[in-house]
Amino acid sequence: MSIYKSAVQKPITTAMVFVAVIVMGLYSALQLPIDLYPEIEPPYISVMTMYPGASAADIEVNVTKLIEDGLASVDKLKEILSSSYDNMSVVTLEFQWEANLDVAVSDVRNALDWVIDALPDNVDRPTVFKFNSSMMPIAMYAITAGSSYSGLERIVDEKLVNVLNRIDGIGSISLAGAPQRVVYVDINQSKMDAYNLTIEQIGNVIASENLNLPSGNVKMGTENYQLRVEGEFAESSEIKNLLVGNYAGKSVYLKDVASVRDTIKDLSLDQRVNGYSGLTMVISKQSGANTVKIAKQVRAELEKAKKTLPPDIAINEVFDSSTFIQSSVNNLTETLLYALIFVILVVLVFLGRWRATLIIALTIPLSLICAFIYLMFTGNSLNIISLSSLSIAIGMVVDDAIVVLENITRHVERGSSPRESAIYATNEVWLSVIATTLVIVAVFLPLTMVSGMTGVLFKQLGWIVTITILASAVAAITITPMLSSKLLKIRTAEQKASRFGYERTVGKWLGGLDNWYGNLLGWCLHHKKVVIAIVLLIFVSSLFLLKYVKTDYMPQTDQSQISVMIELQTGTRVEETMKTIRSFEELAKEKYPEIELISSSAGSNDDGGIGALFNTNGTNISNTTFRLVDIDERTRSVFEIADDMRKYLKEYPEIINYNVSTSDAGLGAGGNDIQVEIFGYDFDKSNTVAHAIRDSIATLKGAENIQISRKNDRPELQIKFDKEKLTQHGLSGAMVSTFVRNRVDGLIASKLREEGEEYDIIVRLEENSRNSISKLEEMTLTTPVGKQIKLRELGKVMEYWSPPNIEHKRKERIVTVSTTPVGVALGELAVDIQAKINKIEIPSELIVRVGGAYEDQQESFMNLGMLLIMSLILVFIVMASQFESLSNPFVIMFSIPFAFSGSFLALYLTNTTLNLIAALGMVLLVGIVVKNGIVLVDYTNLMRDRGMHLNDAIKAAGRSRLRPVLMTSMTTILGMLPMALSTGEGSEIWSPMGISVIGGLTFSMTITLIIIPVMYAVVSKSGERDKISKIRKRFHFMDDASNGKSN
Amino acid sequence: MKAIFIVFNQANTERVEYMLDRIGIRGFTWWENVQGRGSVAGEPRKGTHTWPEMNSAVITVVPDEKTDEILARVKKIDEVNEEVGIKAFVWNIEALV
Repeated sequence: MSIYKSAVQKPITTAMVFVAVIVMGLYSALQLPIDLYPEIEPPYISVMTMYPGASAADIEVNVTKLIEDGLASVDKLKEILSSSYDNMSVVTLEFQWEANLDVAVSDVRNALDWVIDALPDNVDRPTVFKFNSSMMPIAMYAITAGSSYSGLERIVDEKLVNVLNRIDGIGSISLAGAPQRVVYVDINQSKMDAYNLTIEQIGNVIASENLNLPSGNVKMGTENYQLRVEGEFAESSEIKNLLVGNYAGKSVYLKDVASVRDTIKDLSLDQRVNGYSGLTMVISKQSGANTVKIAKQVRAELEKAKKTLPPDIAINEVFDSSTFIQSSVNNLTETLLYALIFVILVVLVFLGRWRATLIIALTIPLSLICAFIYLMFTGNSLNIISLSSLSIAIGMVVDDAIVVLENITRHVERGSSPRESAIYATNEVWLSVIATTLVIVAVFLPLTMVSGMTGVLFKQLGWIVTITILASAVAAITITPMLSSKLLKIRTAEQKASRFGYERTVGKWLGGLDNWYGNLLGWCLHHKKVVIAIVLLIFVSSLFLLKYVKTDYMPQTDQSQISVMIELQTGTRVEETMKTIRSFEELAKEKYPEIELISSSAGSNDDGGIGALFNTNGTNISNTTFRLVDIDERTRSVFEIADDMRKYLKEYPEIINYNVSTSDAGLGAGGNDIQVEIFGYDFDKSNTVAHAIRDSIATLKGAENIQISRKNDRPELQIKFDKEKLTQHGLSGAMVSTFVRNRVDGLIASKLREEGEEYDIIVRLEENSRNSISKLEEMTLTTPVGKQIKLRELGKVMEYWSPPNIEHKRKERIVTVSTTPVGVALGELAVDIQAKINKIEIPSELIVRVGGAYEDQQESFMNLGMLLIMSLILVFIVMASQFESLSNPFVIMFSIPFAFSGSFLALYLTNTTLNLIAALGMVLLVGIVVKNGIVLVDYTNLMRDRGMHLNDAIKAAGRSRLRPVLMTSMTTILGMLPMALSTGEGSEIWSPMGISVIGGLTFSMTITLIIIPVMYAVVSKSGERDKISKIRKRFHFMDDASNGKSN
Repeated sequence: MKAIFIVFNQANTERVEYMLDRIGIRGFTWWENVQGRGSVAGEPRKGTHTWPEMNSAVITVVPDEKTDEILARVKKIDEVNEEVGIKAFVWNIEALV
């Protein structure tokens, strides 16, 4: 028994099956985590190696190069990049997207095992680091304080971090810019010399005084006592009274040679929020956790915790990705609802029956809900890609149900009972329903095979549309006939049509439209050459539009956030950098009332570490984040404001470099930048070329944020030893460098313990004794024999310039000049830059090429091209087998070029760039527009098979199929309209697709209605489908002579 | 005794079933899915893409007096919509065991 027959005969079973699907779908929908994007594991692995005390150049030769060589042969490696900084080497391996990163990590570790032996002795063990998008922070809070600033770290740690850590799904919470308490022992060089002391001696005294030691057991009477020596400092003021030595028979106390300060650590990172000093708390989640849920809990906990905090501490939200996610998701849900309403209205207008409309509308939630089940079982999340995919599918899922319902209605109107009509009418059309569904699947399924960054976008779209469309086909041949058999009613002999009833108004108008179209077709069939000429002209002229449509890569989204990096002259002190920042903040606050929060940091955490991978920092660099109010509360977009900011930043004389960025690292990380890569070993030559290129790019309109990846050479003081003198005094370079480090950077002598916390006690020279070259040379060191000696006797302190970072790509030194296109298309700017570069004289040993997002764009468009060809072939295969003909699919495919014309036109009219998403829309059009052609050609074939003549068949088919074609096209168009028009958060990504599909489908539908019948008439020969006369020829022998002649 | 052969569009299945029950005819032989074409205007019923509809047929042997009743009812079914199609043919039964 066929599936539709069972469905009609067992309505309860059918209904229950679908109720089960709905229950499962709703359950999945509630369980699904909400996120911005699907979880991405970019194929990058970084190897970070610390080599304390080495300069960037040392690191490059002794560490980076060895690691690069060792890792070059790891499987599936695509690209190898490295940066050598002072003290640190970072080698980043980019793998192919299909590579299994867990395997890759263990390969990398194995390869590193071979390299480690060859590395210099005091290099730390390299750490292997794997990126995952879930590591990106989900929220950042700024905590400011007034009088409790110095104790802030401890308060935050106890009252906030501990509380928040208990929330399920929290990955890590890190604090930056927290004031750290330390005890400084600042020593005066000349006094220390006078008493014949050294820093090391003082350090030892402090360490040995600050001890608690068990000293055995004492038995007294019946008791047993533990004996302990309690020497630990109870408070920092005890330190200054320590006895550190004897001189000329008198005791020397620490306070005689040094001052002891119990304070917060010297400023190297200044963190400000809205101008108040404070720290930032960065929260990230565990992989697979629900961002929105966690952020909600964090907010609730913070609200509770606020009450326990001292009143001068304020918690400000710098960013909370959940608000953007939530509003994007809300926005998309709204879009989806509008689409639903539009689609239902279209069906109602064309069918004019409430019950029929209800049956069709029911298939929408049924098929969409299957997508949730898919997402649940594959461990995905509800994100803007999955929701947008649903909104793309919504207009298409009704098509199958419409075809089935239309045929059932026809039978019912002929007087059959709804039950029987449902069975037999479905039997008549189910095959063609499956065929048109397969056409759509043929276009969307290949999307699931795209790899790379674009693959992440396309994979879910492909699966979701495929699954919902297949589900809609199943629903169309089961639940639609079942509901029809129950809900449709036989219309008893022409009910009195009311004056404003459907038949007298919309129905009449649609009937008129059918007739008009039939007549138009009649005219066209008699003027085929004219029609073809006009249509061809339209197509060719639309190609000229391509010149005005600019190409782009990924649409930029307004995330209500602007990040500004400001760089002052290299070597500028943090305090100076701060001053500039404060003045810019003041200006920004005044000029842009849209700003809600300013969070800035200047300088760097001296501990370096992983943070250094994400941000450039240094004492002369500051990073500021401006958060703006929501999109609907302001008139200017972040792009306009960012543009304006650049104008003001240009006017500051002390700012030598700035970068204003509006994109958060997310999808398409690396943003929309064009990168000019300059390969070459020689620093001077490549620097010269890089600067020449930067200057020439700066003259181009729309090239903003021009950055050179190699930072300016940094002033550096080097101590050059006289080797002979070193040996004379029995010293080695290593010993001297430790001494110097103890005096300048400080010796951590011991720790002060207070209420369970430990604070460093740092012994070093007071600032006055170490702030010039001559004072550095006056430093006293101790030789192994105990003799005191000045540094200047061992060598000279000299000033040098050295590069702070050295970057490699494919093991070669590289400098990149990057720029963000603003107001111009990526592709266009890349071409202009290439032209400029061609004019610059480049030394023969350097290689210069244009890459970055431009390269990705080229690659992605290539991928899309392949996808287009694959879709065309698949669609042809499906159609050829459906029609059992090679010429019919060919005729139908004439509608495809006009879809592209329509897209170009729509993009041109809305001033949208042809980006990846718009181009994807054009690929999807292949499947969407041929559906119309299939309906027309299929019915024409039917009419001819039933014995009509060619032209009559075409006209009859046109007249009869106009409504279904209009109806299915309108549902798709109006289903996407809300997406194309949406202006809310995150809408920028998908609106280009809506625009290109709507334009393409509208245009192609109009042209298809004319060109397909005409082309059909051109390609077909009258009488070719007349099977009767063909058969008559084969059985000629049966006829007698006279009969045969007369026929 | 008469044999009545009724051929009809499958869309009329329930009506034919009901008719047989209503008149109290117990014995019949039923063919589902038979092909055919009307002599005058009836469209072909072939179950193909071109002519997707199909007929069913039933033959029943009844006492002479029931023949008219059956034919009258068949005519009523046909009058609902002639396009759907139902036909009845009657002939004599010579003998039966």
